[in-house]
Amino acid sequence: MKKALVVTMLLAVCASTGFAEDFLSVSGRLNLRGVIPLNNNSATEYPSLLGRVKIDTTPPTWKFHLWLEGGWDGSVDLPAHDHSVLKTWDEVYQSTTPFLEFKELYGAYSTDILEIRAGVQRFSWGRLDEYPVNDLLNPWDYTQFLRKSLEDRKIGVPSLSARVSKGDWNVEAVWVPILVPYRLPLPTERWAGSTEITALADQPGVEVLTREPDLPARNLKNSSVGVRLQNTGPVEWGITLFHGYDPRPVFKATTLVVTPESGKLVVDPGIVPDFHKMSSFGLDAAAVKGDWSFRAEAAYAVGRYFNTQRELWGYPSDITPGRYDLNPNEHKSDTIEYGLGVDYRLFEDCLLTLQAQQTVILNRPETLYDRKFETLFWANLKNGFLNQKVETNLNLAYNPEHGDTMAKANAWYVFTDSWKAGVTAVAFWGPSQSLFGRYSKNDQIEAEVIFSW
Amino acid sequence: MIKSRVGFFLFLAVLMASPCAFAMSGRDVYEKVQEVRERGLDRKTEATMVLYDRGGGKRTRTLTEYGKNASPEAYKVLVVFNSPADLKGVGFLIHAHTFADRDLWAYFPEYKRVRRIPTASQDDSFFGSDFSYDDFSGPPNLNDYTYKILREETFDGKPCYVVEVKPKIRRKYTSYIAWVAKNLWVHTRIEYYQDKELYRSGAFRDIRKIDGIPTPFKIEMENHKTRHRTVLTVGNIRYRTSFPNELFSQRALERGGK
Repeated sequence: MKKALVVTMLLAVCASTGFAEDFLSVSGRLNLRGVIPLNNNSATEYPSLLGRVKIDTTPPTWKFHLWLEGGWDGSVDLPAHDHSVLKTWDEVYQSTTPFLEFKELYGAYSTDILEIRAGVQRFSWGRLDEYPVNDLLNPWDYTQFLRKSLEDRKIGVPSLSARVSKGDWNVEAVWVPILVPYRLPLPTERWAGSTEITALADQPGVEVLTREPDLPARNLKNSSVGVRLQNTGPVEWGITLFHGYDPRPVFKATTLVVTPESGKLVVDPGIVPDFHKMSSFGLDAAAVKGDWSFRAEAAYAVGRYFNTQRELWGYPSDITPGRYDLNPNEHKSDTIEYGLGVDYRLFEDCLLTLQAQQTVILNRPETLYDRKFETLFWANLKNGFLNQKVETNLNLAYNPEHGDTMAKANAWYVFTDSWKAGVTAVAFWGPSQSLFGRYSKNDQIEAEVIFSW
Repeated sequence: MIKSRVGFFLFLAVLMASPCAFAMSGRDVYEKVQEVRERGLDRKTEATMVLYDRGGGKRTRTLTEYGKNASPEAYKVLVVFNSPADLKGVGFLIHAHTFADRDLWAYFPEYKRVRRIPTASQDDSFFGSDFSYDDFSGPPNLNDYTYKILREETFDGKPCYVVEVKPKIRRKYTSYIAWVAKNLWVHTRIEYYQDKELYRSGAFRDIRKIDGIPTPFKIEMENHKTRHRTVLTVGNIRYRTSFPNELFSQRALERGGK
């Protein structure tokens, strides 16, 4: 990784001198962000200064692409001093600031019909805007969950991909040789949400330890693969096959250990992120009819894991020193997921997007928090004014089974080609274990200034 | 004798006042325009769009447009933005099966997904400019419009037919009046009306013949309601290209035409 960083810096220097202008294309942005929490009991977020550089070589046959991000992340509570600046692919909890991360870093070879890429990649399979059910190759970064867009949440994975395109047909195959774990915030950080661990961490005189999981061995058997066949016609459709690690978080309960130490209680909550292999067969389609643009996808997944309700994990009501064996808290089930999204242009520069999706847990025991049918409704109204100098977005999400909701509104003003500024307000409601309700302390207003070149 | 002379002059006056007074009909004019447009389908254009708002603010976008005559179908067009950074890599792809039946896709690198877009948005602002998506599409279907020559006049030193064009199908405008240069068969000026109200107008300047195809190198489009205007300058244009079909695929759209 360090070598890659040196190469990146050399390329950036070459590009900035204009020496390689015909050979390289460089763009980037700086982003200054501040957060005003609306709930006094929530964790603080300090101002962040983040940067992004994208470098592409221009010759079409052999191509190099880099997307590097970095900066000072104000959502990190106490930076761990034993971490390198570069984000790694083997840890779930990475409290690093300042940081650098290769979102994408690959080399590609292309002919008219074939493209082969090797390196750190992100993929976008499926059709839906949020939780596309066939988009399983990249794990997500939950450290600022729901304040980041879907694509920003994705963690680039080292992978090899090949894509063959001929006429209306496309086939893409991807191999991810190692498991890259999802990332979670520390229990004291702003986007940790409401969990058993954060409940402990909120108590005075209690220090909660976080334990990294033992990741599966890095061998061929534990790699992930995906294949996607796509056809472009009046109705576009695709078939997706995936076999590999489920990118969604699930936790294994082991033993709670509470130890008194220098006047405080040190708690090992006995909950570690867990990783399981699954298989998924998916279909998706898109079509336009009149003023409506439709998108749909569905997937049958074998071997997904779900956590039971937190009340059944076996936590004692009072935290006193000792060891407490926790109850098994994972349940394996097949699922069917499907969703439909539509875009409708209300008037010029005003687009309404609606999406409904449902997950069916086929053999659900009563112990699960998730219901047999879990539904999510999303609505987004995007509006541009003054020749797109002003852009507003209103986003609403609702889960009827648990009655939890998220509302997000933002407005951007474009000053020049390089400068723009925006304000975002977000609010959450619902029970503490629900998707949005777990962030009910995270209502906030956020201001951002972006300089891009 | 006097009676017959009066009759002759009356006949002449009626003839001059009627559409038949022109050597061509409005439809004939547009068939010539269409012929020039079809000759220019195979092309690559590098252009700069400067957007001026009424407060004096200015934003610049550079783009590359690739076109292909897709016979026996109609045409294919791929437009890719090269700058500013926010729009870099954003693309727009058209497959016109006939001049009346088009499929449209847009790609936004931020979302990493190709999205189909309904043709209802064809008259909407093209990425904040005063051009419409339709302005960046290929030739229209002539049968979707009616044409009437209003007069002949000179614009920018070029003798023109002034033609009123009315869409038969629902569009954002109810009619447009175009100044079509005689012998060049390209627009020199265009005015879009919503009923009687002028809402958008454009001037096509610096017309040069490239490979025998008359090409405006500078187009100024103004929205009269918002007082916003856009100047598109062609930096480089090459005709008679023969791009492969793969350049007009979703894969090429995602790769920014590379």
